Amino acid sequence: MKQQTWFREHGMILLTGVIVGIAAIVLTACGNPKNMGFCIACFERDIAGALGLHSADKVQYIRPEIIGIVLGAAITAAAAKEFRAKAGSSPACRFVLGMFVMIGALVFLGCPLRMVIRLGGGDLTAVSALLGFVVGILAGVVFLRKGFSLGRAYPVPQGEGLILPGVMVVLLMLLVAVPGVLRFSEAGPGSMRAFWVISLLAGLAVGALAQRSRLCMAGGIRDAFMLHDFTLLSGFLAIWITITIGNLILGNYDLSAVSQPIAHSQHLWSFLGMALAGWGSILLGGCPLRQLILAGEGNGDSAVTVFGMIVGAAVSHNFGLAGAADSVAENGTYVVGGIGKAGMIAVVFGFVVLLVISLTHLPRKEQA
Amino acid sequence: MRKKQLRLVVAFHTTAGAMAAEQLCRKQELEGRLISVPRSVTSDCGIAWSAPPELRSTLETRFQEAGIDAAGYYELLL
Repeated sequence: MKQQTWFREHGMILLTGVIVGIAAIVLTACGNPKNMGFCIACFERDIAGALGLHSADKVQYIRPEIIGIVLGAAITAAAAKEFRAKAGSSPACRFVLGMFVMIGALVFLGCPLRMVIRLGGGDLTAVSALLGFVVGILAGVVFLRKGFSLGRAYPVPQGEGLILPGVMVVLLMLLVAVPGVLRFSEAGPGSMRAFWVISLLAGLAVGALAQRSRLCMAGGIRDAFMLHDFTLLSGFLAIWITITIGNLILGNYDLSAVSQPIAHSQHLWSFLGMALAGWGSILLGGCPLRQLILAGEGNGDSAVTVFGMIVGAAVSHNFGLAGAADSVAENGTYVVGGIGKAGMIAVVFGFVVLLVISLTHLPRKEQA
Repeated sequence: MRKKQLRLVVAFHTTAGAMAAEQLCRKQELEGRLISVPRSVTSDCGIAWSAPPELRSTLETRFQEAGIDAAGYYELLL
């Protein structure tokens, strides 16, 4: 008979939230863009650019944080005998869902983790995104309650579970040994980076702790609404509080809805972008960070989701769907960024795709 | 602090399995509720069914009859 200890229930998730917050502050202090110590969507977008999958020259770099998160989760899972290769849960649907989660996140300019980091920096443009994320999660919960399922995963040979960790090792080797074959931004967010060893270590720590604690931005809100269980949500709040305190101490806290770093003021589209990301995350069973952790634990379906997110990032930039940050013109005029018509169409189309996937994966009447 | 009680925790392969279990138990007036799967059971962040331990054999039978595929039955102090 196993007993739940307080630390197992709450301490680990709170510790993880605090460490993620500290890591984000440290990475920003060491060179990562402001309010972007960590961003799964942005960093996967940078990796897509570094590999030449898109040609937006300001967002290209192999982010060691992503490599560290996957490998940290894989190492901890293996040490705890929790590395289990499994797959077979609607991989094609997961690939498409991953794409649209990424498209929604890049409309807002950040994944759910960066949304919390932006809130912790006083960025009020992220409030509409938080509201949208919650609404998206609630939409997903409605379908979960109706019996939505992408089907179960089955045990597969170990090699299947090692695919994403293996890809990450190759990316690390390319970054360290033959960086000449990659594309690197010389200006813009992609050029702002901490020394790769620091980024890798931060990623390893976050990956390891997130694997132990099951930290998940979407799961926390889902559990709070569905089960009245606030355990996972406490990790989300711990990140927010830690980042806020860190920014206040370092004098980086700026409570404002204008001129925020790599952010735009199209609140409606931030709301809708993150609603798309939230709904997709619930259908996938976890936020973008969680997908990296699950892939590190050997889940081939999550690896496919991560590949879908990387392709989604490339699509976002190749077709001009991603948001542009607010800026100040040479004459001093404040220019509101955001998305163009293509981005708006993509978000609406994304909702249609998610609705179709949700409806077609409900139990048939004779099963219900 | 709330005193921990021995509970039967039924884990499922999918969230839909947990939802089906809840629906069945409500219909058949079997005591229990949905909970987040305890970390000691799995590293997945899924949903489980928590019930009094004495219902174990009843639940095993009813879930099997209803075609609900449980991933495991665990007795835990929650």
